[in-house]
Amino acid sequence: MNRKELYTIAENWFENQFWKPFPFQRQTWSAFLQGKNGLLNAPTGSGKTYALWIPIVLDYIKRNPEYTSKHKKGLKAIWITPLKALSVEIKQATERFVEELGVPLTVGIRTGDTSQKERAAQKRTMPDLLITTPESLQLLLASKGYDKTFKDVTAVVIDEWHELLGSKRGVQMELALSRLRIVSNSLRIWGISATIGNLEQAREVLLGTSLDAIENSVLIKANIIKKIKVKSIIPKEMETFPWRGHLGLHLLEEVIPIIGQSKTTLLFTNTRAQCEIWFQKILERYPEFAGEIAMHHGSINKETRLWVEHAIRNESLKAVVCTSSLDLGVDFAPVETIIQIGGPKGVARFLQRAGRSGHQPGKESVIYFLPTHAIELVEASALQKAVQHKIVEDRVPYLNSFDVLVQYLTTLAVSDGFYPDQIFSEVKGTFCFQSITEEQFQWVLNFITLGSQSLQSYDEYKKVDIEPDGRFKVNSRSVAMRHRLQIGTIVSDAVLTVKYMKGGYLGSIEEWFISKLKPGDVFTFAGRNLELFRVKNMQVLVRKSKQKTSKVPSWMGGRMSFSSEMSNLLREELYISSSANPKVSKELKALTHIFDRQKKESIVPGPDEFLIETFKTRDGHHAVFYPFEGRFVHEALGSLIAYRISLLAPISFSIAFNDYGFELLSDQEIDMQQVLDNNLFTTAYLSKDLRKSLNATEMARRKFRDIAVISGLVFTGYPDKLLKSKHLQSSSQLLFNVFKDYESSNLLYQQSFIETFEHQLQEGRLQLAMERIGKQTITWKRCKKPTPFSFPIITDRLREKLSSEKLVDRIRKMTIQLEKS
Amino acid sequence: MIKTETININKETFTLHPSGAMYWKEKKMLLIADVHLGKVTHFRKHGSAIPLSAIQYNFHQLDSVLLDFKPEVLCFLGDLFHSYINSEWQLFTTWIKNITPKVVLVTGNHDIISPSKYEEININVTAEWLIDSILLTHIPEIREHTFNISGHIHPGIRLKGLGKQSISVPCFIKKKNQMILPAFGTFTGKYIISPNKEDQAFVITKDEVIRID
Repeated sequence: MNRKELYTIAENWFENQFWKPFPFQRQTWSAFLQGKNGLLNAPTGSGKTYALWIPIVLDYIKRNPEYTSKHKKGLKAIWITPLKALSVEIKQATERFVEELGVPLTVGIRTGDTSQKERAAQKRTMPDLLITTPESLQLLLASKGYDKTFKDVTAVVIDEWHELLGSKRGVQMELALSRLRIVSNSLRIWGISATIGNLEQAREVLLGTSLDAIENSVLIKANIIKKIKVKSIIPKEMETFPWRGHLGLHLLEEVIPIIGQSKTTLLFTNTRAQCEIWFQKILERYPEFAGEIAMHHGSINKETRLWVEHAIRNESLKAVVCTSSLDLGVDFAPVETIIQIGGPKGVARFLQRAGRSGHQPGKESVIYFLPTHAIELVEASALQKAVQHKIVEDRVPYLNSFDVLVQYLTTLAVSDGFYPDQIFSEVKGTFCFQSITEEQFQWVLNFITLGSQSLQSYDEYKKVDIEPDGRFKVNSRSVAMRHRLQIGTIVSDAVLTVKYMKGGYLGSIEEWFISKLKPGDVFTFAGRNLELFRVKNMQVLVRKSKQKTSKVPSWMGGRMSFSSEMSNLLREELYISSSANPKVSKELKALTHIFDRQKKESIVPGPDEFLIETFKTRDGHHAVFYPFEGRFVHEALGSLIAYRISLLAPISFSIAFNDYGFELLSDQEIDMQQVLDNNLFTTAYLSKDLRKSLNATEMARRKFRDIAVISGLVFTGYPDKLLKSKHLQSSSQLLFNVFKDYESSNLLYQQSFIETFEHQLQEGRLQLAMERIGKQTITWKRCKKPTPFSFPIITDRLREKLSSEKLVDRIRKMTIQLEKS
Repeated sequence: MIKTETININKETFTLHPSGAMYWKEKKMLLIADVHLGKVTHFRKHGSAIPLSAIQYNFHQLDSVLLDFKPEVLCFLGDLFHSYINSEWQLFTTWIKNITPKVVLVTGNHDIISPSKYEEININVTAEWLIDSILLTHIPEIREHTFNISGHIHPGIRLKGLGKQSISVPCFIKKKNQMILPAFGTFTGKYIISPNKEDQAFVITKDEVIRID
């Protein structure tokens, strides 16, 4: 069949559905049939599944002219989705096409939720299309004879590639692709991505650094323009609106009419705790909503989540309070309005959420921004501009993630084993490991075979063996089993399942929260007040409670930072408000009295000013700096400046930071004049000083936690079993200390510092920020009391520490924290 | 320069050492809890590559406290070995042959190596040891008319200071009729406890014991 005839099959099918293919769909079909790789930039709900599934099927038809009668068995295509929840929808869409066309191709799902029985059946006969997650794909690479399974695969599609790109799951995917490219005879690799700042780079990361793959590829943009309307909810009485806070409950009343006006409204919160509280409070104040509102977040059990998703589609819900758990995926036609509670921190995320409403073609998306404290209104104003100018962020890919490489090589050793020379060239072809040296690779090989860099007598290290023919192989069944259980790059706290005493599963909860409760304590979970009965066998047994007051678990979500784009916009908004500009937005106008107060106590800095405020409270001496560069840059700059000051004289700091600035708090007064005289904002020795300041803080330590788990240094235990990993428990904290003291040259230990620089502190951005500050005039204000700008920072309890005092001197100044009784 | 603290319990004299060891002067007895020998090797056997050089450090530390006090009796307050016998047992038996004091092990929950193995190398094994009114155990307990010295919990405390400073450090904890020793081993964590008002903590740093009041 020639290409024209193949297209006719597709066009006819579209016509039968009363659809018309979009230009981007046609472009993708033709590029795919020409054998090209590519990246498709298309939003959710635009028909992206058919852009890629159709040519995969057409290609099969082309190769098998008797396709209707004769079915050629075996896996032909893999569809990777970052979210298990999306797999069902993809299955339905892909099955619909082949069924109506009469092509006997089968579609199967394989994720963490797939039953053992089904997995075994798939092992015997793979479906033609397998929908799976990056982790489940790795697990397939860990099973014997995987090369035969993947031999006839002609296409891998990585859906929502932007979600994977900036994470270690992306690295895991790059490595899997480097293997598939070799074992599958005629593989095409395609990614689907929402709009991000670095689409070109996204394509490069996907396809690897080999010129062939890039040259034989295309970047197709759907160019679907979606109208988005952004509205801010402005408090009626600004005078009583709080200066700090993150819940936003003051504006609960304002939300009710908005919910009333649309079919369905999604309320996005930033944390699961906030989600629980909002759900509870709405029902408390408006009991008539019972049955019409629901809650959705990642810790609630799957059945409830599916029920909620189903109910949204059925239009049986007025509103759903949710978290990022509903950011992605499934189309919810009835959703007309979105409310974002608190700052979304990034433009892309805000747009993504806005796009969850008004899904039908031609309809506009409506999103309300609800500020949780006064200064956040500046953010609202900046977001308006961002949407207007279509500014989106980059997703920064990881480089040299040795932890993921250790895991991947062990995976290959668990299945059929590998020969290092072959794998080295494949690994080096990925974007992540393009600069890996032979020495570094050898280090990793030594690490997995010897557990050190040289063979020691009496050592009993056991993981990967080297066979006489040079093949690297895991022979121990228990090593293999533990490894399979631990494949993945998403590291979470130990979780316990929450169950009613009478039976009935409610969801899962982090162990550290439960460990703070005593039997009889009441906490809020899944929208209910529950009394803790007891904890047994990794299960939390609870019963319903009528008590009104309760504790809300604060899940340890990572705190997000402003992107540099967002920070720019934010500064511009502030500069506008520092001048007497008549064109201020209504958000900024609402803030007038706060700006007046700030101006009275201190100043609102203009574009040429860098503001430092100092004041004293009963907590100690505060120095607050305002670069307006986003949380991560402030974290770095805060430690850097603290480090430089600590060189002048022994001093201890507690450092707090938010998206607007950072605070150095000490029991001694900082000699600010000396700070200014010594030019502590210089970019000279930046890297060196930053590295040293890092040694003094806890940041790298926290990064190491993930690295230790991913590389298998820490075993997280057997799921849902009583921990059988007897005597193998250790905290990554303890490991970090052991490496620090005994093996600081270890690449995985080193990686925790490099990651802190590149991903957490964003050294590049810091350099730019300091150059910008270098051009500003420093204004130092000695204030009598905390200013409106400083308030959200100094009240933050999450702090970094840095000290140049001797440990014993610090201990002598401190007092013991006594048991509260 | 090592700085120790000396206290009296039931009219007996005890010296607290920054390593976590405690010396009973009248009985010339050195008390050490939770060394967890073999832990590094146990992890390595299960594929977790803990640095090998951490193994030697435990023996260095033991040598250095023996040198400081020159005791006649060395009493381990449990969890001497972390798990089953592995190659670190060889290191231990070699080490034990070269020291002079008599060695006693008060067994802990981790001590699953058969007592006969210890007896082969002249170590006395016992579940507890009552000397006058002083009761030596692994797990802390309260027993009438005795003062209990134990280990097991790897105590540490959190200290707070002005300027939102806080720090957590391992320590000895002295309660009304109890003294709990910090873990001696290098590859052991600490467990933060909140002491009562009557309790006394002795924080240990690299070379100093500091009494916190």
